[in-house]
Amino acid sequence: MTEEQDLSLLETLDHLLDRGVVIAGEAVISIGDVDLLYLGLNIVLANMDAVIRTGRK
Amino acid sequence: MKSVVIGAHLRRDDVEPLAAALRCGDLWLSGVDVADDQPLGDRELLLRVANIRAQLLERATFVAIRYGFAVHGAAEAEAKCAEHVARWRRVLEANRDNVEMTLKVAASEPRPRPDRRDFAGGADYLRALHGAAQAADVDPRFREAVSSIGTHRWTHRDGRSLECALLVARADVAQVREKGEQLKRDFHEVPFLLSGPWPLEVFVD
Repeated sequence: MTEEQDLSLLETLDHLLDRGVVIAGEAVISIGDVDLLYLGLNIVLANMDAVIRTGRK
Repeated sequence: MKSVVIGAHLRRDDVEPLAAALRCGDLWLSGVDVADDQPLGDRELLLRVANIRAQLLERATFVAIRYGFAVHGAAEAEAKCAEHVARWRRVLEANRDNVEMTLKVAASEPRPRPDRRDFAGGADYLRALHGAAQAADVDPRFREAVSSIGTHRWTHRDGRSLECALLVARADVAQVREKGEQLKRDFHEVPFLLSGPWPLEVFVD
């Protein structure tokens, strides 16, 4: 994966996750006090970091 | 089965067959069907949705809905989006031939991120985070050069960067990219990233 592809992918994900209309009360899937969506996204981003590190080696 | 909603579109054939079309008043929502027990944070799903989103934009401009909004059927979607439909239609009709582009730029003097441990309460900490972000700025000459490209909105992302959303005619995307290249030549000391086209994300409100 090239640095340009890394940037493109990260930028795409940033727009998907951090832009656009928020429908009130629906942006987060929660059970109890745990926001499952954001918990999941943290895992995604952690994996993405690993992908990028691997790609740059 | 649930549908992860991607955006709101003027026409059904803007959506199908790339995604499921859910009627919402006189608009159509694009949805990606996923099993109820599939976490929305699943990496493969996220990438699949991002890919479909990009293909939808090639068809026609749409109002982007932030990832995470999922519904069980068109009736639920319509009930939850009803209050927005008239405004979305106006925005879509006015911007049928427009897309957004984004320029992210590093702050000229990055502000240190407040340390949570320095604050007794969460509210004070959030205020400090907001203050640090708002204090970030860029070279005024660079800001002026970017702003001169066209219709734009600046936002502070955090203490280290700002972002400028540009509303651009589809036909002018290449021209804006060329202006980005010119900015790199004129302001080689300013790190920035110009990206797009994107659906309507910032200029919906």
